Amino acid sequence: MRGHRDLRRAVAASVLCAAVALILPFPAICLVFAVPLCLFLPGYAIASAAFAHRPLARMQTLVLSVGLSLAVLALGALLLNYLPGGLRAGTWALLLVLVVFSGCRAAALRRPKPSGASRSTWPRLQVSKSGGVLLGGGALAAIAALLLAMTPVPAKNAVGYTELWLSTRSNARSGVVRVGVRSEEQHEVGYFLRVRLDGEKPKLRLFNLVPGETRMFRVRTAPPSGAPVPVVASLFRQDEPKSVYRRLTGLVPPPGKSR
Amino acid sequence: MAPGAAGPASDTGSVSSMPAEPTGRSRPAQAGIPISGLLAKVRPGADTVPLLVFSAGFGLLLCSVANALSRAALAPSPLIYWMGILIVALPIFHRLSSTDPSARERFGLVCLLGLTLYSVKVIHDAPLFTFSDELIHAFNANQIASHHHLFHANPLLPVTPYYPGLEGATSALASMTGLSSYSAGVVLVGAARLVLMGSLFFLFARVGGSARTAGLAAALYTANFNFLFWGAQFSYESLALPLLMLTMMLFAEREITPKASLKAWTAPIVLAIAAVTVTHHLTSYALAAALVAISLAYWYVHRRWRSPNPWPFALVTLAVAAVWLLVIAGSTVGYLSPVLSGAVKAIVNTATGESPPRALFHSSSGTAIEATPLSARAISFLAVALLTVGLPFGLWRVWKRFRSQPFALVFGVAAVGFFGTLALRLTPPAWETGNRASEFLFVGLAFVLAATGLETWRPRARPWLGRALLTGCLGVLLVGGAISGWPWDAQLSQPLRVSAEGKTIVSPPLGLAEWAREEVPGGRFAAPSADARLLLAPGGEIAMSGESPDIEDILSETSLAGWELPLLRKHHLRYVVTDGRALSEDVLRGYFFSTRESVAQEEPAQKDTVTKFAHIPGATRIYTNGDIAVYDLEGKR
Repeated sequence: MRGHRDLRRAVAASVLCAAVALILPFPAICLVFAVPLCLFLPGYAIASAAFAHRPLARMQTLVLSVGLSLAVLALGALLLNYLPGGLRAGTWALLLVLVVFSGCRAAALRRPKPSGASRSTWPRLQVSKSGGVLLGGGALAAIAALLLAMTPVPAKNAVGYTELWLSTRSNARSGVVRVGVRSEEQHEVGYFLRVRLDGEKPKLRLFNLVPGETRMFRVRTAPPSGAPVPVVASLFRQDEPKSVYRRLTGLVPPPGKSR
Repeated sequence: MAPGAAGPASDTGSVSSMPAEPTGRSRPAQAGIPISGLLAKVRPGADTVPLLVFSAGFGLLLCSVANALSRAALAPSPLIYWMGILIVALPIFHRLSSTDPSARERFGLVCLLGLTLYSVKVIHDAPLFTFSDELIHAFNANQIASHHHLFHANPLLPVTPYYPGLEGATSALASMTGLSSYSAGVVLVGAARLVLMGSLFFLFARVGGSARTAGLAAALYTANFNFLFWGAQFSYESLALPLLMLTMMLFAEREITPKASLKAWTAPIVLAIAAVTVTHHLTSYALAAALVAISLAYWYVHRRWRSPNPWPFALVTLAVAAVWLLVIAGSTVGYLSPVLSGAVKAIVNTATGESPPRALFHSSSGTAIEATPLSARAISFLAVALLTVGLPFGLWRVWKRFRSQPFALVFGVAAVGFFGTLALRLTPPAWETGNRASEFLFVGLAFVLAATGLETWRPRARPWLGRALLTGCLGVLLVGGAISGWPWDAQLSQPLRVSAEGKTIVSPPLGLAEWAREEVPGGRFAAPSADARLLLAPGGEIAMSGESPDIEDILSETSLAGWELPLLRKHHLRYVVTDGRALSEDVLRGYFFSTRESVAQEEPAQKDTVTKFAHIPGATRIYTNGDIAVYDLEGKR
């Protein structure tokens, strides 16, 4: 690829991007390196090889590079599906680097020397100070829009609720009932939980939960020897202690049988 | 060449060298908008693009504020949102209608417009998918991430895993970065949007021979009914359509290539055709149809089948689509044929008066929703009226100037065809077919309307009138198209995650999905449609809903019929979700918090429909959050 600086750079960039994306454990930084590898370089290499004799305009090259990269990803998934290893980070990186290398190699062989395309540069954006302020302002506004969209906002009119769930299991020594309560209410709520196992005294719990908080309870009992043992979990709100707020039923299975 | 027709488009091989407008660069930008304060220092011309970037960012922020107010259940005025959209689009429309910008600037503006409008969709529901198809495709992407292979079954839309282009591509980004399918999908569809806008620009530029017409036509395409939301979702068509447009662009460029260089286009074109085929069924058929149409138009214009007539590629596309259909995706026939035959039957029934036409601006799901205001309907109808009025002028100009161009002829036919899809909207089962087809046909309409040349109309007393009128019309088309393409009450986001005392709480169906993911990994659920989708993603469970298998009747009837438990057993559905909310079957609105107002208006579900499973001996009720409950039918299915 001597004399074709753009092709050399594309290959080097693909190797660097693949290595960094695979090694670093930070998704946001990996994305910065994975995006060129996945969404630009394969298409650029293929476009360079295809149009080695008749380079396209830069803007067209940009569109073609992204578009063909998307095509490579769509078809590459199919190829990897039938190869050992399947679709994994490593196989993807290897495939994309291979595509970039092959495309650039083909381009280098087909291009007339010295290549005009390899000498040309991408257009530079010339922006005045006030223009820079406006560009920065626009970018900041877009980032603010995205952050605002991702930020949960208070919604007093939204109807909150409480989740109650129950699971049971047994082993040779005991039967276990797990009861979970999660508050998705708008404010802190006091609860009263009653777990009643067939033939046993009810187990009672009094507790408060703030919004988004979860509390798990375990109730142990003797393992059922024959038929499953019924269990009922009833949840009350402390501000309305006379009416059942949530109610669940379960069966504690004999040892060796799951529910 | 037909007599009187204009010659072929510029043969420079480079759109960057194409004149912005044949009349040349005439005068500085019209200062129609007063600029004061800080902006007084802005230099006209040099700082126009930064100014447009700023207005796009500001418009996007305004849309986000409107969404935030809506998520806070404060019922904000929709005007805030629509102002935001117009602040994004109108300055760009106005600039594109000018003779001043270079082709490069127009390309940049078209991409800016496309990506900012895509961001309007992203901020609608970040950081979770909430559109019904998105949840299905996110499930497929998660399955690929888990199993490292394609073609894992999807319980809600079985045909989707057999068109794995989008999810396969998403897996590349997701696996290499560790990002979720949401984040990787948003980036991927964003890249596809860039390709869509860029391809449209170059396609129109090559056919129209003018970067100005190209910029306006590409901007016009954003007014198609599905551009803002439906076409921007994480769904297979969102990738396939840009790839289709890329293929069209490649053919348009190939047409003006010297014969000796024609072979250079083969590899990129075949690659793009294959990618479309493995990504989306309908788009691959649309691509084949488009290539056949262009081949015929080429023959009509040039009276020859020799290269660059693209008929061999049309055959390749047909062959690849047929092979994929027969070998890999056989279930597509069973998926599409009821939709298409239902559409045909509905057209006949409506035409013969056997069934009434579909009421516009009403929910197809049957749930009671907020009515579309009269003003919004008026804008929507005005948009259609503008399209209709512009069509004959555009067709006349296309015939006069571009009838020697096969692509332009196909665009003209597509433009007329678009109005056929409007008629399909009047019949209930054909609505979806018309809606899908309109996205493809609008490409032709965009070019035809841009060819009218309204922007060049300069009355002596008011030389700015043509551009102002065009800018206004484009604004009406954009807003009217968005209103027609997406239900009024769903334009703004709804509360899904809410801040309460500094913590985050989630909506009941999302709470169910998160519970299932934690407590019942690998569970198989029968559930109402909205709950089932969230159970798929982010729940990661297997969930079935709807009519096939007939989960809908199992959940909606007040008593258990004899066939119901065997059906659940046949599909290994151990868990049954009951949901007392009226919106539980609504795949557009069923994911969010109820508000006090909506609860007050809601008719309570019949008690037996949600409690009947408690009477099954051995069945246990293992989860509840009030409206939603889960029954475990182990041993009794």
